[in-house]
Parts: sequence; C-alpha cells; structure tokens
Amino acid sequence: MECKLIENLLSSYLEDELTAKDRLAVEEHLKSCADCSVLFDLLRDTQESLANFPQAEMSEGLLERLYDIPYRRRKFRLSLDFLVRPALQPYMAAATILLTVMSFYLFHPEKSAIDKSINRQVHMGYGKIGKLYSEAETFTTSLGEHKDNILDTIKRKQPFGRNGE
Amino acid sequence: MQTERIVKECLKGNEGAWQMLVNNYSRRIFSLAYQFSGTREEAEDMTQEIFLKLHNSLKKFDFDRNFDAWLLTLARNHLIDEYRRTKWEKKSRDEFDEYSLKETTEISPEDAVMREQTKKRVWEGFNHLSADIRLAIILRDIQGKKYEEVAEIMALPLGTIKSRVNRGRIQLAKVLREQKEKENGM
Repeated sequence: MECKLIENLLSSYLEDELTAKDRLAVEEHLKSCADCSVLFDLLRDTQESLANFPQAEMSEGLLERLYDIPYRRRKFRLSLDFLVRPALQPYMAAATILLTVMSFYLFHPEKSAIDKSINRQVHMGYGKIGKLYSEAETFTTSLGEHKDNILDTIKRKQPFGRNGE
Repeated sequence: MQTERIVKECLKGNEGAWQMLVNNYSRRIFSLAYQFSGTREEAEDMTQEIFLKLHNSLKKFDFDRNFDAWLLTLARNHLIDEYRRTKWEKKSRDEFDEYSLKETTEISPEDAVMREQTKKRVWEGFNHLSADIRLAIILRDIQGKKYEEVAEIMALPLGTIKSRVNRGRIQLAKVLREQKEKENGM
C-alpha cells in the first residue's frame, strides 16, 4: 500500500477500528517504511498529549459575570420600560406619523422636484411678507402725516357728545 | 437536579437554577473556548457570549434533545463564527506552561520534560489546523467524546468526523516532526 493510503488508516489503527485485513496491511507497511513508522509514533505521542491536555481554570470574575446574566438582562429591560408607558403613547404616535411623512419625503423618487417646489413656495412666502411690511410702513407714514388733521376733525365733531349736554 | 428540570426552572426565571446551570457547564465551555482560541482573554469573552446566547435561546430548547449536545452545538457555532470573523489562526496562543497541569502519574523527570515538550508543541500546532478540524480534535481527543457525539455536535456525518479527526492528528504529528527536525538541525 502507498504511504498516503496508510496515513488515512493510522487513526483507525491506533483506535483498533480496522478490519483484520487492513490492520495487517498497516502493520506490514509500518515494518517496511521508516517515514510512516516515525509518523505513527508521533501520532501516538500526539494523541497521548491531547488526552492529558490541561484544563485551564476560569477566573472568579468570569463566574460572577455569568451568574449576573439574567439580572443584567432584566435591568436592561427595566431601563427601556419607560418607552412603553401609556402617557408617552400620544407622543410616540405623533413621532411615528412624523417619521412616516419624513420617510415618504426622503425616499420619494422625485425628491429634487419636491425640494424645488418647497423652495419656490418659501421664497414666495418671503416675498409676500416683505410686501406686507412695506405696505404697513407706507400706511404708518401717511397716518403720521395726517395725524394733526385727524385730531382736529375729532375735536370739532366731539364724537363723545360733550356739545350736546 | 436533572438538567431538564434546571432548564425548566431557568425558564420560570429562577436565578438559583441559572447559577446551577452555570456551575455545571461553565468550566467545560471555558475549556473548549480556551483550547480552541489559545488565549485566556479570548476564551473569557467567548464564554460570556456563549452563555448570553444560551440565556436568549433557552426557550427554544427542544426537551427531546440532549442538552449537553445542544449547548455544545451552540458553542461550536459561536466559536467557528468568531474564528471566521476575527481570523484567530493568525494570532499567537498563550504560553503553554503557564496553565499546564502537573503530571499525576509517576514518571521519571526526563519523561516528564519530554511529555511537557510534546504537549507544548501540540498546543502551538493547533494554529495549523482549520476551525472545523481543530474543534473535532478538541471534542474527540481532549474532551474524550465519542465519534457519534462529535458528529451530533458538529452536525456532520460520522464518516466526515472520523476523517477530520484523522487528518487533524496527522497534521499535528507532522508539525511535531518538523519541529523535531528543526531542533535537530536537519
């Protein structure tokens, strides 16, 4: 048998799991092949070493952390409980609606057209407010100019009826 | 208390039962993680994450299954995922001597030194094994599980497991051979 084939059988040979025919073939090969014989000895050493491998001791700190897992999880759940309080439900609903509307806007395929339209409306709004301001100023100025005339007219007419006493 | 009863008590929120579960399994899981990763630091992190996953998944446990195999499968999945994510094979392992146990059998000092030397080489040789082969070797040769149990934990056919264990042992033996040859100046 070739060395490669023997290699595949060495573990089973070591654990006495081969048929009589295969066992004999392995034994014959090991007698005649120094390389495979050395490899088999090392395989046996390896298995013996593994069987006596050290079991590392875990730290006390780790044990405490493992004990604490349910407690930490409950604490985390409690810290999030405020989110489901009934008093917060209207705010949560409002936030949900706002986020839904925002998501429609943010992910709309024609977002740039919407942006342009919003910009135009905002500019128009600014324009109207500016116009209102200027009209108000004109009105205030003309009121100032005619203040004396208006006061004279009011005095002459005596709108509160003092002449009629 | 039987493991199934402990699990049921854990599901009811009994913290004492959880502590019993931790006492029964933490050392085994820590050893598995330590032998697999090769460093205490990684092993402690992994053990904590595995127990966190265990706590989250307890309600999914099928009581018809063997709890030990179920937990080891959960640990195996976590270790292999982490191995792939972080490329452990490129990291160095802790010094072997630091945590080795004393020989319990009566042997000569020369033999003891030789055995320690072989263990050290095998320990370092673990980094040459792929994740699946490494885990199969740990379960079979270090933890002494039967091939059938290893196959159940690894969710692989029996023949595949036997072949992986054989390949792993041969790889480790070849690592030993190379190191010996280097030391002898060959």
